[in-house]
Amino acid sequence: MKGLSSLERIVLECLGKNTLTYEEVQTQSGLHENVCFNILQALIIRSILKTDGVRYRISENLSPLMLEEINGMEAKIAESLEMIEAVVENKAQRVFRFQKVAMDTRDEKIFLAMLSNLESFLVDAHKKAQSSVPLKERKVVFWGVGDVQSLMNQIVMGK
Amino acid sequence: MHLQKKTLERYRKFFPGETLRETSERTGIQITRIFRLFGGKTMKVMELESFEKAISEKIAESPNFSHLNEVMEEASALLTNDELGQLTAYVKRKLIAKSYSRMYVRHNFNDAIIA
Repeated sequence: MKGLSSLERIVLECLGKNTLTYEEVQTQSGLHENVCFNILQALIIRSILKTDGVRYRISENLSPLMLEEINGMEAKIAESLEMIEAVVENKAQRVFRFQKVAMDTRDEKIFLAMLSNLESFLVDAHKKAQSSVPLKERKVVFWGVGDVQSLMNQIVMGK
Repeated sequence: MHLQKKTLERYRKFFPGETLRETSERTGIQITRIFRLFGGKTMKVMELESFEKAISEKIAESPNFSHLNEVMEEASALLTNDELGQLTAYVKRKLIAKSYSRMYVRHNFNDAIIA
């Protein structure tokens, strides 16, 4: 598979520039223990992680090809879809709205400005809390907007 | 021989981690014979049928499986190479997520009793 699954990404994000033990990765990611261990092993096999047997870190010698595979657009899109699908299918604390909204040009401008404000708010909120809120307690937030006609054409064309 | 190998590989995919005893019970083939078959001994037709029957029964538990096969066949004829690539990547991601939760690796050996 090209890129990373969202589960693998969580483990990499936990590690970041740090060197962590299995227990620390597991606590921060919130992954079930055997899932976490299996992911660590899979990432070691792919040479993305290194370990001394106790602590894990991201390999510093990742080839540009591997970096492109991990962070490339195709991989990111697949990963986003995986997370969005999980949110849509989440039965417990789901907040998800999907609507086709009629908007005149003025309201569209207002809406885009509000999205921009929302983005600034999220950037600030993240900066403020990133050191205190572990990865497993963070929120997945996404938004997007498109024109019905062009989206329909895109679906038909398959692009 | 190729068909036998393929059937055993399929069987392993449908029943991963099954013990020889469990395979023996499921197929009705003696355990020592199962051991030999997995070791590469040539199968009799009846034995091949037993494995195929076990696989068919497992497939019958998920009716969507045969539907998936039909849809995939149609997709391979109609969709572009890129679209097929997207589908493959999607299914592959599902499989990988599943495999992480399925295979159990005992990490903590501290509690193990050492005789």
